[in-house]
Amino acid sequence: MDNIKLIINFLGQLLPAINITLIVSLSSIILGSLLGLLLAAAKMSESVVLRVLARVYVSVIRATPSIIMIFVVYYGMPMLFNNWFHTNIDGWNRMYFVIIALTVLFSAPASELFRSAHESISKGQMEAGLMVGMTPFQTFYRIILPQAFVVALPNFANSVVNLLKEGALTFTIGVVDMVAKAQMIVANNSGGYAWQTYCALALIYWVISLAVDKGVSLVEKSYQAKRKTIAV
Amino acid sequence: MLTIEGLKKGYEGNEILKGISIDVNKGDVISIIGPSGSGKTTLLRTITTLEAADGGHITFAGVDKDFEKLNGKDINTIRRNVGFVFQNYNLFNNKTALQNITEGLIVARKVKKSEAEKIALDALERVGLSDRKNHYPSQLSGGQQQRVGIARAIALNPEVIFFDEPTSALDPELVGEVLKVMQDLANSGTTMVVVTHQMSFARDVSNRVIFMADGHIVEQGDPKKIFENPSEERTKKFLTDILANV
Ligand SMILES: Nc1ncnc2c1ncn2[C@@H]1O[C@H](COP(=O)(O)OP(=O)(O)O)[C@@H](O)[C@H]1O
Ligand SMILES: [Mg+2]
Repeated sequence: MDNIKLIINFLGQLLPAINITLIVSLSSIILGSLLGLLLAAAKMSESVVLRVLARVYVSVIRATPSIIMIFVVYYGMPMLFNNWFHTNIDGWNRMYFVIIALTVLFSAPASELFRSAHESISKGQMEAGLMVGMTPFQTFYRIILPQAFVVALPNFANSVVNLLKEGALTFTIGVVDMVAKAQMIVANNSGGYAWQTYCALALIYWVISLAVDKGVSLVEKSYQAKRKTIAV
Repeated sequence: MLTIEGLKKGYEGNEILKGISIDVNKGDVISIIGPSGSGKTTLLRTITTLEAADGGHITFAGVDKDFEKLNGKDINTIRRNVGFVFQNYNLFNNKTALQNITEGLIVARKVKKSEAEKIALDALERVGLSDRKNHYPSQLSGGQQQRVGIARAIALNPEVIFFDEPTSALDPELVGEVLKVMQDLANSGTTMVVVTHQMSFARDVSNRVIFMADGHIVEQGDPKKIFENPSEERTKKFLTDILANV
């Protein structure tokens, strides 16, 4: 009973830091999806150079552990900026480095799932669009994309949950997110109540991931429902 | 109205169309018949610019050019003036029957939504599917989907509509309803080029039959002449085989 009380107490202390986790995750998901979209386009482009570049990029990113990516960006980018643009970015909010690292990480699986979703839509859909006079872009945007979106949704949710978990490494470069907060709580208690603290943390991640799954299935259901309404 | 001269097309060194010339006049209903693999689909796809041709000349809707010299604007012009009915319907799966028809009107032709819906309802009426206007493709039978496909093409009022084996993917009991719609279209003066294995349609509805084999037009002419008294041995053999199988 005491443990439960403790966990609830820790939940209260951890939750304020959820902002950081959410900002980092949401920004990386949005930016990573956009980058993934570009990569998917590169993978399917007619240019061999673009295709090879995209493939190499994705295979490198996929092979890079998140923590290494975060360190590479955190230590490497200021150096690059210094050498190439003669700009000092040491003073940047550290959160930006995490967002950049996670964006890069997220773009790889995103590009793969966008590409496969796109390929699952029959070529005939594009041809039908062209034959009613729409441009390739109009057809893509109005016909292909909405269908590919539904196909991609479950895998997308998976990638989002993975990203959330990778985001738990944010603390490693000194951003005070929920994980860092948990470490502080444990330190303040001289190492006591560690497992209750981390249980509280795990609970929060579990609820977020449940919320993502629920959100996705709601969107899916609303699509199915739309198909089923037959107004007479 | 549409003139194709010396159309050539190959895939990876294989010549599929070996110089095809066709003349389509307003109101023509032309049936293209021939063995599978003879290049009928490729012919329709190259004329409608879904596939780039390797050689030949097209005169149509103000475009008068070699196929290789078509620019983006010419391609747009050609696409805006043709309709295409696909073998496997290719209805937009995320759109209702009505939206399948209004989509091109609104997005490509910039017709007002209310106007587009009126045109679309008319088109659905013509194919006998007014009561299915809010159904999605997955909720329609193959025959109904193909009739929506036809409505989608006629709503745009193109100069000529190409049909690529419109009934081949259908269960036999659904073929009739689609053929009936096509016959009505033909009677109302729509210019149609129809690739088909339905010999009854070729013989009774069209005013010209083209027999294709191996990327060539072997013979063409009046349906009566082609069916009753073909000049070429290959035509005779093809017709004997196909009619024996009916
Ligand atoms: N995209 C393609 N790539 C390679 N070969 C093709 C392609 N499309 C068609 N062909 C070949 O072209 C020939 C003619 O095909 P098609 O035009 O579909 O014939 P038909 O419609 O008369 O049955 C076939 O041998 C086919 O294999
Ligand atoms: Mg064919």
